Order: sequence, then C-alpha cells, then structure tokens
Amino acid sequence: MRKELFRRLRAAFDRLLLADNAYAFLFKPDDSGEVVSLDCETSGFNILADDVVSIAAIKIRGKRILTSECYRALVRPGAAMDVSAIKVHQLREKDVAQGRTISEVLPELLHFIGSRPLVGYWISFDVRMLNKYLYSLLNIHLPNRQIDVSELYYERKYGNAPPGTAINLSYAAILADLKLPLLPQHDAFNDALSAAQMYLVLQDMQQRGARIPRPPRGEEPASERFMTTG
Amino acid sequence: MPQAFDAQNPPFDRLSHDQISQLRAALDIGYFRPGEAIIEQGQRSENLHIVIKGSVEERDGEKIEAVLGPKDTFDSRSLVHGPAGTSFVAADETLCYLVPKALVLELIAKNTGFAAFFYSEISRKLRSYGTGREDGGVDTTLRARVRDARYHPAVFVDGATTIKQAGRVMREHNNNTLLIREGNGIGIITGTDLAKRIVLEGHTLSTKIRDVCHFDVVSINIDDFIFDAVIAMTHNNKRRLAIESNGQYVGVLEDIDILGLVAGNPQLIPGQIERAHSIDDLILSTSDIQSQVERLHRQGARVEVIAEITSDLNRRLFAKVFNLTASPAIREAGCLMVMGSEGRGEQTVRTDQDNGILLSRPVPEEELQAFRDGFTHALETFGFPPCPGNVMVRNPQWSQPIDNFLRQLKSWIITPTDDSPMYLGIFFDAVSVTGPSELLDRAKSAMIELMHGEGAYLSRFARAIDQFEGASAGVFTSIMASVGVGSDEIDVKKTGTFPIVHGIRTFAIDVGLKEVSTVKRIEALAANGNLGAEMARDLVGALSYFMEIRLGSQLRAMKTGKRELEAIVRLNELSTRDRDLLRDALRVVKRFREVVRSRYHLTVF
Repeated sequence: MRKELFRRLRAAFDRLLLADNAYAFLFKPDDSGEVVSLDCETSGFNILADDVVSIAAIKIRGKRILTSECYRALVRPGAAMDVSAIKVHQLREKDVAQGRTISEVLPELLHFIGSRPLVGYWISFDVRMLNKYLYSLLNIHLPNRQIDVSELYYERKYGNAPPGTAINLSYAAILADLKLPLLPQHDAFNDALSAAQMYLVLQDMQQRGARIPRPPRGEEPASERFMTTG
Repeated sequence: MPQAFDAQNPPFDRLSHDQISQLRAALDIGYFRPGEAIIEQGQRSENLHIVIKGSVEERDGEKIEAVLGPKDTFDSRSLVHGPAGTSFVAADETLCYLVPKALVLELIAKNTGFAAFFYSEISRKLRSYGTGREDGGVDTTLRARVRDARYHPAVFVDGATTIKQAGRVMREHNNNTLLIREGNGIGIITGTDLAKRIVLEGHTLSTKIRDVCHFDVVSINIDDFIFDAVIAMTHNNKRRLAIESNGQYVGVLEDIDILGLVAGNPQLIPGQIERAHSIDDLILSTSDIQSQVERLHRQGARVEVIAEITSDLNRRLFAKVFNLTASPAIREAGCLMVMGSEGRGEQTVRTDQDNGILLSRPVPEEELQAFRDGFTHALETFGFPPCPGNVMVRNPQWSQPIDNFLRQLKSWIITPTDDSPMYLGIFFDAVSVTGPSELLDRAKSAMIELMHGEGAYLSRFARAIDQFEGASAGVFTSIMASVGVGSDEIDVKKTGTFPIVHGIRTFAIDVGLKEVSTVKRIEALAANGNLGAEMARDLVGALSYFMEIRLGSQLRAMKTGKRELEAIVRLNELSTRDRDLLRDALRVVKRFREVVRSRYHLTVF
C-alpha cells in the first residue's frame, strides 16, 4: 500500500518534470484493459554499472496472451558486457552488437506499453534498470503500476502461512507449482511469456479464491528452508 | 512468436519451415479457468487450440468422451466441418495456443499432409497418413549390406568339369549357380545356362564347362550396400554378382535374394510344408511363418496383406498336419475347418486354436480319439495355444458326424446357454481347410435358415456386443488415471475389434451372407444397402487401424513373453497422431454399437 502511494506521488511529480510532452501519454489513466508482461536481459546485476541487452514485452488482453503482437529488441550496450552475465543468458557481445542503442529502442517500447500496468518476475529490477535510461532521456521514472508475479504467488501460497513457514519464491518453484512448462530461460521473450502465463493463472486463482497447497510443516525440501516468514 | 511452440508435434510436423514460421507468428495463448467452456456444443470455434498445460474434457452432454492433455489439439472438426458435436471444457487451469481459423484454413489449402488431420472420415485420414512408419520399407533394405542378404555360398568347380558333372554338383549343393576356376580368372554358370547350351546350342553332356561359361563376372564386396549391388546389376545387365571378401569369392548374390530382403520369402514356405514328412519337419515352417509376420510388419506391409499371407500359410500347415495325423477313414470323411479370427483370415500372430472337424459318416472311435489328440497336440507343439473355450478338434463337440453337429447347432440357437452365442459366432466364421467342404456349407446354411430374420434369436446373439461396454471413447480418459487407476491402457481387442466383428457377424447371419472375412461382409452389406456407405467405409478403416495397432503390441508381447498383454495398448506410448486416430476409430465403434442396438432392440433388455 505504501509502495503504491509512493508510486503515485512520484508519478505526479514526474508528470511535472517530464522533459518531452510527446510522452504525456505515459501518465494518462489506463483504459485499455490490458497489461504488459515485460522482461529485460542485462549485462549484469548492478543497476548502475550494467546495461540492458535485450527487451521483450507481450500484451495480455483479458485472458489472452497476445504473442502474435509482441515487442522484442536487442540493445547495443554502452559499457562492455560483464562476462558473468554472458554466462547467464548467452547473449554474446557479438549478438548484441547487432542491436540498436537504448535511446532508439526506448521510445518504441514506451509507445508499446503506454500507461498499461507492467507484469514480471521481480519486475522492480527491470523497471529500475529502464528508469536509469529514462531518467536521462525524459527526466522521469516509469509511472506504470507494477505487478510482480512472485508477490501474487506469495499471496496464494504463503499468504495465510503460520510464522516460521519456509518460503521459496524461486522461478522454478513457481513454474512447478503452477505446472507450467519450463521454456529455455534467460531469453527475454521466453521469460516475459512465462511471467505472462504465471500472471493469468495466479490472477484467476485469486479471483476464484483457490490457493496453492503447501507441503505439511517439516516436509519441505531442505532447499526451501532458506527463508521463513517472520 | 513463441519459439517454444513444438512444431514436431503432429499434425504440425507436416508443415514446411516457412509455414511453421507463419504459424508461430500468428499464435496467441489463451487461459481458461477450471469449468470454463472453451467450445460449447453446437458452436463453431474461431481457433484451433493446442493444450500447453492443464487438461480439457471433451463432453457429449454430461458424458465425458475424452480428456485431452498437453500437446493435444482440438477441435479440428468444428473448425472445418461446422458446429462442434461435443463441448470442450477446461478441467483445471488450462493454457492453450490459439491458431486463428483463417490461418488453419490457409494451411489446409496449401498442405495436404496437414489437411489430412482435419478429414472427418477415419478411412481417408488413414490413407493420407499412410502406414507412416519411419523405419522399415524398401529404403532401409537398400541401405542393408550385402552380407545381410540370404545369398548362396560359393561353389567352385574346375574349368575341365563336364556339363554333366556340373549339373550333379548343382544338385548336391542345392545351388543353381557355380563359379569356375580357370587359370587366374573365374567364370560363372547357372542351371539355366547348362540347359540352354545343350538344348539350343547343340553341346553335349561331355562338353567342358570352360567352353560354355561366362567369364565376364561382376563382383561386389560383402560389405557393400545392397543399393551398390542393384546399381552394379543394372549397369552391367547382370542378374548375379560374385561376392568377394578379403580377396576370396565367398558367394553369389542373385537379384531374387534382394527381393527376399524386401519381402521376406513367404513363397518358400509352402514348399517346405509340402515336403514335410513328419510333424517335426513342420516346426521350422511354423517359426518361419512367424518371422515372416515380423519382417513384413517391419517393412511396412499393410496389416491386411500380412493377415492374408499368414492365414494362407497357416491353412496349408493345418492341412498338412491333418494329413499326417488323421487315419484314412477320417481323411475321407472329414472336413477340417478353422474358425473365429483364423477363419475370417484376420489373424496375424499365432493365437488360440479354433478348429473342428465335421464327419460325413461315423468313423471308428479309437481312430477318431487318436486323431483328436494327435492334431491338437501337434498344433500345441508349434506354439498355437489351446482355445480357452475348448473350441478345437480335441473336444468331441467339435469333432462329430454332421448330423449330430446339426442337432447341436439347433440347440444352441433355440435353447441357448451363456456360451451358445460365442459358439455360434465362432462357427459362423468357419472356413473349410481340407476335405469335403459341402459339409460345412450344409451346416452353415442350416444355421442361417434357423436364424435369419428371427428377431429374438438374433438379438440374443447380438447382445454380446455389449459384453465389454463402457469402453467407448471415454476409456481414453485420464480420469481414472488421475485417481490412480491405470486406465491409460486400452484393450483394443475388446473395445475395438470385437464389437465391429460381432456386430457385422450378426448382420451377416440376419441377411444370410456367405462371406467370411469382416471386410468382405461389410462390403456385401453396403452393396445390399443393409449398411450406409459412409458407415461401411469408416468401419473398414477403423478395423484396419485396430488390427494394425494390435499387431504392434502383439509382436511386442511376444518379445517380452507376456501373452496376456497382447491386445493392450498403452496410451502414453502412442504418438499424438496415433491417439487421434484411435480416438476416431473408437468413435466409429460407438456409432456402430448404436446402430446394432437399435436394429436389434438391445435397449429393451
């Protein structure tokens, strides 16, 4: 709740500070009825030092994932790529070099997402990554509402859990619980698609009041005991 | 454009690379909550659905017809043929790829293999899919090596050998081709060559072989491919090649040996059977018949062809066994018959014995008893298991004079017991193997006379069709599996073949048909207007598919030695294409059952 207030407050400020009025549409109330699943692959996990190398965004209209009209772009990073990140998503510098600069890509992406809410797995990371560029480009932060599928999942699975329950919000755990196919990971499109599928299933479970069963206490796999509810 | 979309999954494996890209670009994904109707009964669908996750029930009213899971596709029928006959309801949280209707129609128009998936008639579908086995067939034969062929070992003679001596050597070695050593070269000569030299060219029996043989011998290495051999034969216009290995000539490859590699050598078995002097001599032939089936199947022969060859060979075998075990009096008076599937010629692997003998007059009891034991025992030795219903020569009920048998037949019809319909059914499929076949004709005519047009007898007979009911397309379902019962197994004999065979048999008795094979009966019934043309076509297609799929599991069951599983097909081991066909075939059975039920008023019982 506090986060939502902060977002609105900051959006109100940003609206005033917006450098280019052609982007005023980002602040219009959203009446599309759609959300956009978004994923960025980056050259590393340090928001300040690292760069976005590819972006995919897929619209979700009602209960339909519009993969037939998605947005995908490869980005040529300003900084050299961090070797450790290459290992994660296997986009070599050579591949990325074929991409365009973020200042070319970002306006297209903004027009694609508009003021629709954004969906993703740990979406705040992707948004903060994009904000870095957006701030220098337009002097604003992405004002869109953010829906994190790991939060939806937490609420469906652990929302009523007694204190001390082991928690696992890993990507693999969500896929397994929702019985979704594992797509080749660390590809922006596949990750955005998986997040979109997670979103639809979880959102519907929420509407129906269906919960994800938890294993009885003490029977969780050891790997799931690394976090506990306070 | 989800790259994750599996284009290897039928029917999409039939699309070209460009068509797959086009399809991928047009895909959307839809989510359906549990209980939500994806396609309502009577509606047309705007998309083809491919399940990504979850499961979808296909329902006819309240009844669940099938449960579809990941990679299954629906509803091809309503997309192309009009409103859906069934409804499709999400059983749990379900995600499906959605292919727009317009694109599907476009791909159907462009690609006939893909279009086949959307045909509503199973017979057309089957034809278009072909036998579709990747391995086997002529292609793999050509990729076999020369050493794999059943070639003739090399037999050498000296150049100074006379024609007469050469002829003797050929007979001794049972080999029609000789290689001739002459200096450093070799020559070749065949039996036909010898005859030609004498008859047409005036040579005498004492002519030296070096003067008449061919020295332009073409050779091939034993490790060469068969297609190399075919090329060498065509190129040099030769029907025989010398086979060479490590600098030695080891054999002769004839064109007919290559044919044998493709088709096996079924033409050799009748001769073997003919020449047998004892039951032991026949053991080899029976195992040859069996390996023939496997080879033909592996090489993609249609199951009807396999069944035809097998039943012909089996009948020769039975006739020979009859001649070896029956006394002269029995041979003269007895008409040996095979019944059930053996009689209909729908047998591919050895299954239970169903045989009997009709005698034109009584024969001495000791002779008859000796024959009963001898015949049945011989077949058991060959690996034909005894009939569980004891329908075989050993049982006096199935080996008696015709007059007694006719009385027996009548009592089965008029005062039936539980087993009577089974006996009548098995007998109605009888064909005579050897002996006076008019005895069988008389008995069958008597049976038809009593039953044909007799509603009460016929419907009692027809009732067996419901014996294994509940086996509609619903068996498909993983519903049972989801509660832990292994119903992903389906007995194709009980749920598929039997209802068709028995229903058709009932019709055949009703109208007095003489045809015995189920397909011939169906054709005759359709020609007489007793059965709709479309229904007839579908039944033939479905039957052929059941036989095909059953043969596969029979061969597997034989390898693992688990005979009781021979008719069991495991759904999760089937390809999507086979599951689709099986579902269609089971639907045909269901429709046919309804026809039989209403014709013979089975619902009244």
